[in-house]
Amino acid sequence: MKQFKDPFEAAFEEQEQSPPESPAPPDDPDAPAAPAAPSAAAAGHDDDDYNLLDPPSTSALPTSSAVSAAAAAPSGAAKNREDEEEEEDDNMDVELGKLAPGGDPDKMAKMQAILSQFTVEQMNRYESFRRSGFQKATMKRLLVSITGSQKVTMPMTIVMSGIAKMFVGEIVETARIVMSERKESGPIRPCHIREAYRRLKLEGKVPKRTVPRLFR
Amino acid sequence: MNASSSGKARAASSSQPSESSSKRKRGIFQKELQHMMYGFGDDPNPLPETVALVEDIVVEYVTDFAHKAQDIGSKRGKLSVEDFLYLVRKQDAPKLNRCKELLSMQEELKQARKAFDVDEEKLAASLD
Repeated sequence: MKQFKDPFEAAFEEQEQSPPESPAPPDDPDAPAAPAAPSAAAAGHDDDDYNLLDPPSTSALPTSSAVSAAAAAPSGAAKNREDEEEEEDDNMDVELGKLAPGGDPDKMAKMQAILSQFTVEQMNRYESFRRSGFQKATMKRLLVSITGSQKVTMPMTIVMSGIAKMFVGEIVETARIVMSERKESGPIRPCHIREAYRRLKLEGKVPKRTVPRLFR
Repeated sequence: MNASSSGKARAASSSQPSESSSKRKRGIFQKELQHMMYGFGDDPNPLPETVALVEDIVVEYVTDFAHKAQDIGSKRGKLSVEDFLYLVRKQDAPKLNRCKELLSMQEELKQARKAFDVDEEKLAASLD
């Protein structure tokens, strides 16, 4: 069964299994035949979207590389974290050519070069990073219970899942920085998370509670 | 001190904003959170209390975010994706870009699926 997939990755793999040429599971080398066709079709009229997608790689780089440089030591697999923030394809054949979010081939080539040099642990971590995500149903249920209205659309859920995932990333990376400052190692403990959360609050990345806290 | 009291207060005040269901079941995001935290740099097996704490933080974040979006959206009439995007724009740029990516990917997928459905219909019609 499918587990911990990105919403659009899951949806895309569903689509891949429907064309008759690719009856095999997603990581079969035959799969690239299918994703090449839709992405070629989509690439024609989505050129302006790729301009949107270029900035993520450039703007995500400075922030995440600063964060990840300090986090590299304890985790050991975060060396290429600054490139993991880019939405590039990884070694899994199912995503070859599909994302093409860099748009240009030399970004993809760069990414491929980096990915080919990953160790096994790094590859595992990267795969977890790419495939993990919040379940759409759970997020939708949560949003409905918060807003009290039933009009939670699919784009809303997808956007909220993406934002929440990036937020988790910020917390975990900041917690790793805190750990390296305190020169501790091993699994992240709640005290690191709390310190990371406090720092993020100071930086203003956490929305302040609009409801005033009555009981402190 | 501040952190622990805020932890308790967070659990207590989470029932304030959500009128419909004040009881939040533990571990609604647990499995996915574990994979996500590993992907972002934690151990392959994160501590359960860490995961629980991160889940609390994320639920609170989503709650606050959705409330703010609702406030913005109420001025406009109904809640829409635009409200979320507006809030994210104020926060930081990578998130906004990621949201745009996700939305455009979804559009692409919809188009691709629609095109595929049409092809299947044509195929079925031609076979008959």
